[in-house]
Amino acid sequence: MKIAVISCIHGNYEALDAVLLDIDQQKAEKIFCVGDLVGYGPHPNAVISQIRSLDIPTCVGCWDEDIVEGLNACDCSYPSLLAEKRGLQAHEWTNQEVHPENREFLANLPYSLQWKNLAFVHGSPHSNHEYLLPEIDAFTALERVLSTGADTLFCGHTHVPYVRTLNTGNIQATVDSQTISQEISFTSPVKRIINVGSVGEPRHGRPNATYVIYDDETQAVSLREVTYNYQKTCAAIIEKGLPKIFAWRLSQGLEFAEKADDPTHVCTR
Amino acid sequence: MWIILSGIDGNLAAYEAVMADIKRQRYVDALYILGDLVGPTKECEQLIARVKSPRRGELQPIICKGWWEEQCLNLHGLGPSGNVPDLLAKYGGDTVKMLWDSVSRQTVQWLRNLDFGFFELDCLLIHGSTVGVSDELTPETPPIQMLDRLSRMQANNLFCGRSGLTFQYQLQGGSVTSEVTTLDHQISPQTTTITPRQIIGVGNVGRNPGEATYTIYNPGSNQVKFKKVTYGNSKGFKLY
Repeated sequence: MKIAVISCIHGNYEALDAVLLDIDQQKAEKIFCVGDLVGYGPHPNAVISQIRSLDIPTCVGCWDEDIVEGLNACDCSYPSLLAEKRGLQAHEWTNQEVHPENREFLANLPYSLQWKNLAFVHGSPHSNHEYLLPEIDAFTALERVLSTGADTLFCGHTHVPYVRTLNTGNIQATVDSQTISQEISFTSPVKRIINVGSVGEPRHGRPNATYVIYDDETQAVSLREVTYNYQKTCAAIIEKGLPKIFAWRLSQGLEFAEKADDPTHVCTR
Repeated sequence: MWIILSGIDGNLAAYEAVMADIKRQRYVDALYILGDLVGPTKECEQLIARVKSPRRGELQPIICKGWWEEQCLNLHGLGPSGNVPDLLAKYGGDTVKMLWDSVSRQTVQWLRNLDFGFFELDCLLIHGSTVGVSDELTPETPPIQMLDRLSRMQANNLFCGRSGLTFQYQLQGGSVTSEVTTLDHQISPQTTTITPRQIIGVGNVGRNPGEATYTIYNPGSNQVKFKKVTYGNSKGFKLY
């Protein structure tokens, strides 16, 4: 059975519409969404309404959480102080815009989803603000999958899709305590992290929407890249009074990431 | 040598017994207390005063926050959470009141300024783990989780006190092969290996009446030694 997994739509209805059409053409039978329905983009209500009407199982993203609970993003969630300032503007605009019933929908989204041997989270199983980048330490990546009890972990948040396969993980340890003294030999079967990219705010260097098709029988993964009329979304961003740079970066498929003032900052939130 | 304590839990008699035992150790450079200094006991304030004013020949302890300190701060609206569901669930309402009565506001302000943990040489000294004060590492914790807690701060040695147990958990080696595919590239498989490192449960001073445990660590040789101290009337050791 083919499933589609989408993430980080960020109020971009044009992109969502194009991706849903592509999913239909790929003959996927089920869709999962790993959050960030809102933020940055000009159509938060249309996106939420579409997800609701299609009854797509969805877990909560960090932007969705912030609309429900109030802004809780630490400055380390952004690549720079300017990016943080723009993020704050986008949060305030979205917060004003979202209808009460849609806010209620976001408030009831679960943190994670499980289906068969697959787990779904927005950022990581430990935090919606953690970026599971493709280059993170392989043991750290393995721990994130193992902590879910699943074989494959689907996530988003970084806006750049990838598949990471973790093979033949093993650790040898000895433990001495008052009650036990033993040698431990830990081995892990093959595990995978599949980052599904971003539907509405891509950062892989092109403006196209990205998502993933997964076949749960063959375990085949297809990273999908879908063209759509992104200029329409860019025009709506400017028309709605959102920071113009959101339109620029959408057209480039890039985060405008100035160097952070304190790149060593560690989030203790 | 470093002396590392945790889990005093407001037990003054246990602390006195351990301090007396420490006096018998030679070449002690540092005394760490990895949280849970306070607890729901009547002598809590006396204990704080004692810890803050070491006697002649005693080292000034280096103290970080523990689970009980976090409960105190939460109770007073100064912690990360506005309430104390964990404390209530684990110990009940009477203990909440006892803790409130046992720790003065002045002491709460002092607790507020304690560090979350310490990084010295390649050693992380912390109450729970890099995840939080509630994270309880034990001899049964899976190796992959232990490695994660070490890797979060790139420590080779992690000393923790949340479990109250004394244990030495040594990660001796391991590997994992990783392969990444992106939209534009396929990166060939790469193998990551780990170097030996360890997690040490430092025991607890005051949790078990009549018996205290603590840890001695030699950062030069990386040797760990656990000490057990019995105290109380039946053991012939008296507090005075």
